[in-house]
Amino acid sequence: MEGKIVMPGEMISDKPDRISYAYVANGKTYSTVVGLYHEGKLVPLEGPYEPLPDDYVVGIVTEVKFSGYSVQMNCAYPAFLSSREIRERYVMGDALFAKIAMIDEVRSTELNDAMKLPPGKLVKVSSVKIPRIIGKKNSMIDMIKATTGCDIFAGRNGYVWIAGKGNAPLAEKAVKMIEAQAHTTGLTDRVAAFLKSQPQIIIDQGAGAPQQPQMPPQEEQHERREGGYRSSGPREGGYRSGGSRPHSGGYRGNSNRQ
Amino acid sequence: MMGGNAANKPVLLKDGKRVDGRSVEDVRPLKIVARVLNDADGSAYIEWGKNKILAGVYGPSECIPRHDQSLYRAIVKCRYNMAPFSGAEEHGRSGPNRRSKELSKVIKEAFENVIISENFPKTQIEIYLEVLQSDGGTRCAAVTAAAVALADAGIPMKDLVNAVAVCKIDGQMAVDPGKEEDNFGESDMPIAFSPRTGDVLLFQMDGMLTPEELARGFELAKGASAKIREIQVEAIRKVYDEPREERFLVIEKKD
Repeated sequence: MEGKIVMPGEMISDKPDRISYAYVANGKTYSTVVGLYHEGKLVPLEGPYEPLPDDYVVGIVTEVKFSGYSVQMNCAYPAFLSSREIRERYVMGDALFAKIAMIDEVRSTELNDAMKLPPGKLVKVSSVKIPRIIGKKNSMIDMIKATTGCDIFAGRNGYVWIAGKGNAPLAEKAVKMIEAQAHTTGLTDRVAAFLKSQPQIIIDQGAGAPQQPQMPPQEEQHERREGGYRSSGPREGGYRSGGSRPHSGGYRGNSNRQ
Repeated sequence: MMGGNAANKPVLLKDGKRVDGRSVEDVRPLKIVARVLNDADGSAYIEWGKNKILAGVYGPSECIPRHDQSLYRAIVKCRYNMAPFSGAEEHGRSGPNRRSKELSKVIKEAFENVIISENFPKTQIEIYLEVLQSDGGTRCAAVTAAAVALADAGIPMKDLVNAVAVCKIDGQMAVDPGKEEDNFGESDMPIAFSPRTGDVLLFQMDGMLTPEELARGFELAKGASAKIREIQVEAIRKVYDEPREERFLVIEKKD
């Protein structure tokens, strides 16, 4: 990732520009975070997870309620998953992969499209590094999956679930490596070299092994990450995620259910 | 005289040199390391003269107790604490006392001005400041470290705050007093700045100053503040220039 590292309070433009994670004072634009600034875009290098509609997240069930589940997803606001949205039943401590359906102005969050994750390990990383872990058109995560034989679910909230019978310790190392070096260029090549240099464990999944559920393909991150002082951009169709984006999944086989 | 015993007052200023050989405009050696704690969202360690302070930032997380939370913004909480072994004199029992409660309050209020808390309704942002070793000017060092820790946590702020004290020693204004100058000087004035605008976020004074001395002290503090900001920026930059997966703290042993 190219760009200049900017500090909070550092001027990034001498015009009052509308830039995410920036604020305008005296007709000039200043950064609010430690971030990478490049051609009118400011990408934070660190920061809390801001839940937004249509995010795929990995969450942990913290409470089973009468009508649904309370899900912890690495932020200050617990999400609610209604029983009407799902066919499975969960218990406390289950790990889920779900989509944020709705979020309101006091950050009440609702999930849908949930699926229970197969047994595995939770790796916590900074949420701003997740696009790097997924890579352009899933390139990075596909590479780690192919090399280690693990199923990896990367939630936009910074939780990465490593499951399956593959070389999980190696996958975890690769994820940690990407987190530490997310701001550098040529990372995919370096991760590929790292994965190659490590001892490979070949696990025979067996032809008869049951098909594990897969993470749905992640769409390109478009310009909807927003934050910073009075910088909230227009949200298409308000806060509730409308039907504007086609359903990306098909991984549960019942995506047409309304 | 503020705290020290008049009988054993040393000569604080001789031929423009201070007790430790600095000039009136010099700041003590300052070193900051960002990202030193594994479990904190953001952290920093500062060594300023003989001060050693750890700063940890947690949040935004759910605000507890609930009656403190606001539907409109994040609540900033701060705990400044001096370790019982931190000073040359015995500090007695650990835990909050009159002094540390006051410092926690003024530091919290300094940061409330720069943290963009509207982004995180119903949450709290906690700043923990642990003074491991004190040598005068701990509140300024704590503010400087806390700003780095907040930036490391990625909490949106309008500016990277820093603080420095000025004192009056043997009738002259000097920047960044050490313990001797603090105890035997005539006046002590810590100031926290928002360096971009020059706004004052914390201003306290002990002792007496004339308006002219105050203006001169303010000028000295502003000059030092610019230098301190550079060291803060360097500390944050180092996290990304030399990426490391593990967070750790190496305290160099000195004589």
